[in-house]
Amino acid sequence: MKRLIMGNEAVAMGALKAGMTFFAAYPITPASEIMHILAEKEGEIVFLHAEDEIASIHLVIGGSLAGRKAMTSTSGPGMSLKQEGIGLAHMMEVPLVVVDVQRVGPSTGMPTLPSQGDIIQSIHGSHGDYNPIVLYPSSVEECYRYTIEAFNAAEESRSPVVLLLDGFLAHLSETVDLDRVSVEIKPRTLAPLGHGKRHFTGLLAKDGVPLTKDSLYYREWYGRVKTKMLETAMNYRFYEYLKNDQADTLLIAYGIVFRVILPLKKEFSLFKPVSLFPVLEKEIQAAASGHKRIVVIEMNDGQYRGEIQKVLPREVLGISVLGGTISLKEIRERLHDL
Amino acid sequence: MIYKDYVKWDRMPTNWCPGCSIGTVFRHLTLALEKAAVPREQMVVVSGIGCSGRAAGYFNVDSVHVTHGRAIPVAEGIKRSNEKLKVIVFSGDGDLVGIGGNHFLHSARRDSDIKVICINNGIYGMTGGQMAPTTPFGEKTLTSPFGTSYAPLNIQGIVTSNARYWYARTSSYHVNHLLKCLGEALEWPGFAFIEVMSFCIENFGRRQGFKNGFDMLFKLKQDYKLNPKPDGLLKNHELGVVKNVGQAS
Ligand SMILES: Cc1ncc(C[n+]2csc(CCOP(=O)(O)OP(=O)(O)O)c2C)c(N)n1
Ligand SMILES: [Mg+2]
Repeated sequence: MKRLIMGNEAVAMGALKAGMTFFAAYPITPASEIMHILAEKEGEIVFLHAEDEIASIHLVIGGSLAGRKAMTSTSGPGMSLKQEGIGLAHMMEVPLVVVDVQRVGPSTGMPTLPSQGDIIQSIHGSHGDYNPIVLYPSSVEECYRYTIEAFNAAEESRSPVVLLLDGFLAHLSETVDLDRVSVEIKPRTLAPLGHGKRHFTGLLAKDGVPLTKDSLYYREWYGRVKTKMLETAMNYRFYEYLKNDQADTLLIAYGIVFRVILPLKKEFSLFKPVSLFPVLEKEIQAAASGHKRIVVIEMNDGQYRGEIQKVLPREVLGISVLGGTISLKEIRERLHDL
Repeated sequence: MIYKDYVKWDRMPTNWCPGCSIGTVFRHLTLALEKAAVPREQMVVVSGIGCSGRAAGYFNVDSVHVTHGRAIPVAEGIKRSNEKLKVIVFSGDGDLVGIGGNHFLHSARRDSDIKVICINNGIYGMTGGQMAPTTPFGEKTLTSPFGTSYAPLNIQGIVTSNARYWYARTSSYHVNHLLKCLGEALEWPGFAFIEVMSFCIENFGRRQGFKNGFDMLFKLKQDYKLNPKPDGLLKNHELGVVKNVGQAS
């Protein structure tokens, strides 16, 4: 059935569809609606309004370890607080989903205005090296679809998967028929607590035994985990490429920015990564070839442009749309002035 | 199952210093588990970071060793995810009521059904002996070289500020009482907090002038008296159990 649905609502519904039965979070604009909707499901699912974001991510780690698909949602300030738990979940290989609905930062910033300022935080926010899978939808229907995929990727990679939204998309209402979105749902991969003598630890460990002074083992362990992440990510390569044969410029944009610049497809080629990380290196290189200029347009000061630059051996230009306001007119003008 | 079955023998020896009493508490928890006949497959032990926080890894059951201060929320998440599991937190004072203080406050308020065993050695042991929120007033530590200027946290006061609570203060000297408290906590339907008065010879006691762990153990004997039937709350130097089955209001 077709319904008018908001981005945040689609995330909540996608999570339920994916089989999530454990949710803990702390209220924050512009993510709160996810919480409000899931609060109504208390009883059917475990719902917890925690004391803070540090608690919510750790509650979710416990909930997942004990057998439930689990999720938490927040915005930038809360994402910063969750980083400790995200690192722990990577180290202990715990599947879960973290939704970050971005607003303008740093700090409390501009709470009600959208941003894409947490791109780097989503991969480097916790200390140490790890290789997370990060998805970023750009429509209400995609919010639903990629929430389910985020759960699938979490299960398959046994890691915390980040689903990024922006305040604009989260509050965008669109008419969609979710029944017609079909995504395969992956079963749980982690045997729940209570069936053995496994030891999960944030320390470097081998078969549950800490090995905290063995550099060679660290390298072996890191190699295994990185390979696992990169190989799993191969199954989650989502993007949209609108090639314009007349165009000499490729525009790369994600989330709400892609939606805003969609009318530019008449003059430019457009590439929208949904899978932001690991970066879709091959696909982006392929799209870039045959174009004179590559321009990344984003609501931050060049965070993803830097990542694209790493995979393209030539200059990547950028347009930074700062301060939470975006208009096609402004982007057109700035493209003209590039 | 006997108590030895709860121990991961291949992880022995522990990383606890000679003269430390964390092992005493560990051992008595295995005894309490034997007595309560908790099947290994139906329990989980969660620890945070610290010397006490190493305990989880020495139990021969599914166990989780999390980040500093987060044992309580992970444990609560486990319990709320699977109500059938008996969920025990074993950690230190700095971990549980210092960095994890907010979680302690709120998990107690939510009366989550977890059993928290807190080794109160009055110090951050693992990191070399810095002031903990439980360090007695005036004591010199690495971060209070002129003596602490604050009173220690009133853990009993926090737990008992809730309508429904179970709190025990016991010590690693008074092992019969310790065992009794552990047994009672395992049976209590709700948030149970056991504060085990303890000590740290290597990173606290030596600076205070103690010669060895035994002298510190003996100090516990001198300092604390059992109060089997407290009238209201426990006084500072009393050991005992205070509880209230009252409903949240
Ligand atoms: C976030 C974070 N901050 C600081 C530390 C360093 N650290 C490790 S153990 C510890 C104190 C532990 O004290 P307590 O919980 O009392 O345990 P004890 O060693 O006394 O048993 C600290 C500060 C850490 N591991 N993580
Ligand atoms: Mg301590």
